[in-house]
Amino acid sequence: MNMRRYGRVFREFFRACLVEELEYRSEFFGNFIASFFGIAIALLTVHIFFYQTDRLGGWTYGEVLVLLGVFNTLRGWIDFALRPNMPRLLEHVRRGTLDYILTKPVDSMFYVSFRHLVFWRLIDVALGIGVIGYGLYVERYVPSAADVLMFFVLMTASLLLIYSLWMMLMTTSFWVVRIDDLSFIFDSFFDTARFPGSMYRGAVRFVITYVLPAVLITNTPALALLGKWSMVAVLAALAVAMLFLWASRRFWRFALRFYTGAGG
Amino acid sequence: MIRKYIALLRMKYIEMLAYRLATFVWMTGAITQPLITMFVWMNIHPEESDSFVFYFMAVIFVERMTSAWDVWELDREIREGTFSNLLLRPLHPIHWAIAENIIYKWLFAVILVPVWVVAATFWPALRPHMTASQIMLFLMAVVLGAALRFLLSYSCGLLAFWMTKVAAVYGVIDVISLFLSGRIAPLEMLPPALREWSEWLPFRYMISFPIEIATGAADGGELARGFAIAAGWMMALIGALQWLWKAGMRKNQAVGG
Repeated sequence: MNMRRYGRVFREFFRACLVEELEYRSEFFGNFIASFFGIAIALLTVHIFFYQTDRLGGWTYGEVLVLLGVFNTLRGWIDFALRPNMPRLLEHVRRGTLDYILTKPVDSMFYVSFRHLVFWRLIDVALGIGVIGYGLYVERYVPSAADVLMFFVLMTASLLLIYSLWMMLMTTSFWVVRIDDLSFIFDSFFDTARFPGSMYRGAVRFVITYVLPAVLITNTPALALLGKWSMVAVLAALAVAMLFLWASRRFWRFALRFYTGAGG
Repeated sequence: MIRKYIALLRMKYIEMLAYRLATFVWMTGAITQPLITMFVWMNIHPEESDSFVFYFMAVIFVERMTSAWDVWELDREIREGTFSNLLLRPLHPIHWAIAENIIYKWLFAVILVPVWVVAATFWPALRPHMTASQIMLFLMAVVLGAALRFLLSYSCGLLAFWMTKVAAVYGVIDVISLFLSGRIAPLEMLPPALREWSEWLPFRYMISFPIEIATGAADGGELARGFAIAAGWMMALIGALQWLWKAGMRKNQAVGG
């Protein structure tokens, strides 16, 4: 792939969506309130849990807040770039208009996953960063430069992982065309990442740590920012992210073959 | 009326079968949040794990049995104008919605009750210890909870005659209910101020109250008071719905010309 060209295409998507969104400026205020409301509810939930205890899976209140901030930030990115595209791909597959995308001189997987962006969701990213800051303040911990660097590396790995898992789910739409929106399946799984992985027990813990690495996605960046990282874990996270990216790419290619076959 | 209802139920049943997969996925969709919350509480109070398992499994069950989706349906139908088609039919549209609710919840029960029974044979924590009268009261409370949620959802949906953001309004109500209906925490775990509120608002009676009956947490005077408050809310919501319906019909005609 030619990175420069894809950077330029992405900027065009960005511009087109921004123009579109600016037509509905009056919505902005309502969306802003909704985002604040959402994070307030999340904080209240954590507060209710800590009304009964001072540790959750071995994490203190401040640490759980940092984790919640990371979770909110990542979810903001999902809602910004990935979620808006899900129903559209389903629609394309159902109506056969995917043909038009396949004929475009741009990678189809790139196109279907980034064509539509919803900007106001970036508020959630900002609020998430705010909560991270607040959590660090509660914890009275000032991250070192190395902590912050590892945090960004792990966040990148997490975003790649999320993208791959999301894309694999989206690709199943070639077979499951009856459902309007598959994204809630992802949400169900991703919601488990809101809390420390050490909180879960038994099989659930195994699945969300090793099979569908929800725990990896949010817990490792949060721990890195709290100064609890190791080089091995960072490299492992990057390797897992690459593996999932490769798998999702293969799955997309495979699905496309299926699509052409069905379309005749 | 009964013959009409049988016809309605049969139609809704066929409709449901046509969207089997969507129905199934939709049904299982709401289970992760209670499960995660269950793990949180099991972690906070490990010694009470069994009672949390029972409580949150019951939350999943009761939540499905009382769930209401009419607000989104009405919002869409009124906004897109297809609601007028329903109005032309000889039967009040609310009967269609009630029939749909009965059919879907009947399906939920048919699937969930055997699942529960099988799970309980393997997992002693899930075995209920209820007397016959407790079972009767539990079922009554579930029906009452379903009625409350349905009425609230339908009334909110009717607001679509006046405003376009009905789903957002209902979203806010739903979040409030998350805390006060016992989905985030068993109500006795809440700070006292919130618990006080939960007694007087309708949300407790939509999910938590039937479970309190099943676990024996609510009995005697507490039980009678709960039913009285829930019945009061039901009357209030029926009144609100009738008023909104009349006002909405006038408004609808004004727009339709």
